[in-house]
Amino acid sequence: MKITRRELLISAGSLLAYSQLGSLANAEVNIAAQPGDQEMIASMCKALYPHDRFPMNIYMDIAAGAIKKGNADTGAKISFRAGLDGLKINSFDKMSFKKQTKYLNSIANTPFFGLVRGHTVVALYDHKEVHKIFGYQGASFDRGGYKDGEYNDLSWLPDPRIEEHPDLTAFLDDSSPKKYASLKTKKTF
Amino acid sequence: MKIDKKEKAVVVIGSGPGGAQVAYQLTKQGIPVVLLEAGRRIMKEEYVNEEWPAFSQMAWLDKRTMTGNSRIVQDFNGLPTWLVKAVGGTATHWAGATPRFLDYEWKTKSTYGSVDGATLMDWPIDGKEMKPYYVKAEDAIGSTHRGGRPALPANNNYKVFAEGAKRNGYKFYATGPYGTNAAPYDGRPASVQDGFNFQGDKSGAKWNPNVSEIPKALASGKLELRENSQAVQITTDSSGKADGVLYMDTKTKALHRQEAKVICVAGNSIETPRLFLMSASARHPNGLANSSDQVGRNYMRHLTGSVYATFDKPVNFYRGETMAGFLADEVKHNPKRGFVGGYYLETLALGPSFLGAFLDPGRWGKKFADMMDGYQNMAGMWIVGEDMPQKNNRITLGSAKDAFGLPAPNVHFDDHPNDTAMRNHAYEKGEAIYKAVGAKQTYRVTPYPHTHNLGSMRMSAKAKDGVVDKHGRCHDVKNLFVSDGSVMTTGAACNPTLTITALAIRQGEYLAEQLKKGNV
Repeated sequence: MKITRRELLISAGSLLAYSQLGSLANAEVNIAAQPGDQEMIASMCKALYPHDRFPMNIYMDIAAGAIKKGNADTGAKISFRAGLDGLKINSFDKMSFKKQTKYLNSIANTPFFGLVRGHTVVALYDHKEVHKIFGYQGASFDRGGYKDGEYNDLSWLPDPRIEEHPDLTAFLDDSSPKKYASLKTKKTF
Repeated sequence: MKIDKKEKAVVVIGSGPGGAQVAYQLTKQGIPVVLLEAGRRIMKEEYVNEEWPAFSQMAWLDKRTMTGNSRIVQDFNGLPTWLVKAVGGTATHWAGATPRFLDYEWKTKSTYGSVDGATLMDWPIDGKEMKPYYVKAEDAIGSTHRGGRPALPANNNYKVFAEGAKRNGYKFYATGPYGTNAAPYDGRPASVQDGFNFQGDKSGAKWNPNVSEIPKALASGKLELRENSQAVQITTDSSGKADGVLYMDTKTKALHRQEAKVICVAGNSIETPRLFLMSASARHPNGLANSSDQVGRNYMRHLTGSVYATFDKPVNFYRGETMAGFLADEVKHNPKRGFVGGYYLETLALGPSFLGAFLDPGRWGKKFADMMDGYQNMAGMWIVGEDMPQKNNRITLGSAKDAFGLPAPNVHFDDHPNDTAMRNHAYEKGEAIYKAVGAKQTYRVTPYPHTHNLGSMRMSAKAKDGVVDKHGRCHDVKNLFVSDGSVMTTGAACNPTLTITALAIRQGEYLAEQLKKGNV
């Protein structure tokens, strides 16, 4: 989901956050810099894309990336701050998975949610450790590609035909406009 | 060779399957060509076998806006297509399927009749005329299963696909025809089953112009390839003929001009009409060669979608060739199914990185995660079918500007009810294939950013109905040609690269003859 500046500004929560930020004068404000913030975001990443097989350190990596994006510009900062605040107030990390899902649904239209979800779905499934857990071996060119016995090691189904069926040419050649025009078009829309 | 910018040259814009092929055909006959390419030349050694880094390396990411009712407007706003900005064009990341048009697919208006809301039209050429060019195109690409070339072996994804197809009573499945060598051919090696066709193919077993027509044309000594050179306007003389190309060095942003006697445009179905619209002038007030008002209209992108399924046991579907699995049983027009035209099913594998992004854009939660969790036990297929041309599915110049201050193209696309009906039919059949071999969970996947972009400069017999004639020559401007898939009057069910290649070979031969006779 792409977040526009306008969407940020029309969010009531963000406007409130903006006014609070204003009172902080000239101090450089970084969002999610408190102890426990990264863990809180990580718990959200995990609730969004729950994988029992993934150790928490993976979700912590993803949270770090989300926080970096949350600090990318002022617009991101104000929405991220408001969103994180919501997680904290509601002790999101202590909720049951069911309640977490319900809570996430309730904030699904906020820019904060969009940022965290959008980042997580890309970064999580691009994570090298996740690839390992999934059994994905990826590139093989440097070792000469996948060998016979690797790219075709599936053994629970019979080996299929790879050549075309002998009738295929006749099937494709039988396509005269005249013949096919005689089929009645059934209007269904 | 070096060609002077003041010399009235034959200029080809775009080095994808259309542009590179025309340039190669001309240089082969001794005709010097300036080839302008907006991207750079990425050599095969530079390709990256990781999905996102490769995407960043080659995808066309210039600003585009989108409107219309298709889901992709929400899912991937700003990225209507997945095209490549590099020498070799989008064939750099094509998978490789090379089916032909069926005879009636050249004549869909006559065959299907009128379909509400669709602008079906017969091509001014037919299957008989194109047959010899298809053979030449298959030989140029090295299609498997054709010209005596062997079939690729079955990989794991194909094993699931083929057995599921068989158990559903389908007959017409095979590992091709496919544009990656099963055995060494044309100086290129056999596949080492290393996958990553969408990322450029490091081995060179996969055909694309960057490893075939471009080096051949360069070796002829008749080609000047100008990289990072993005055409931004075609200029015309007082008689209305094209006389030059303004192009921008995308590195320095300096504007250059190449004098031209003939121009062939092959920028794919968004950039080609955009260039024509940006070339409006007093003589061509609605855009160059647009007296018909057809420039940019009838933009098509094939009916697409995917079906993925997970099983009890491992598949490891990502290993080996990306799309070497093909099913033709559903391609025939059969209106009893509730739609006109037909579709192919083809194997397709994504790595976890892309699968996460494309499996169900915007979706989150346990069901999604469970599907991803089954990655190792997953099989996948792609649906590709004929979509309906519609006059308002079109490329226009929007109000937004790109990074160079040029008007960004707006891509408007509404799904036609025929597209939706066909997609739903294909989803059912795809799921049935996987269920027949024991699928635990199946997933219907919405279209990715589009790779098959067609129409928008349609070919027509009459000048009032389209932009180019049967040779791809503009009805309005006789020394201006279109050489890419944007000329497609209608799109047929088949993957388009073979047909683009066949049309470009035909056009190249025609143009060489006309140049020699002095008719251009």
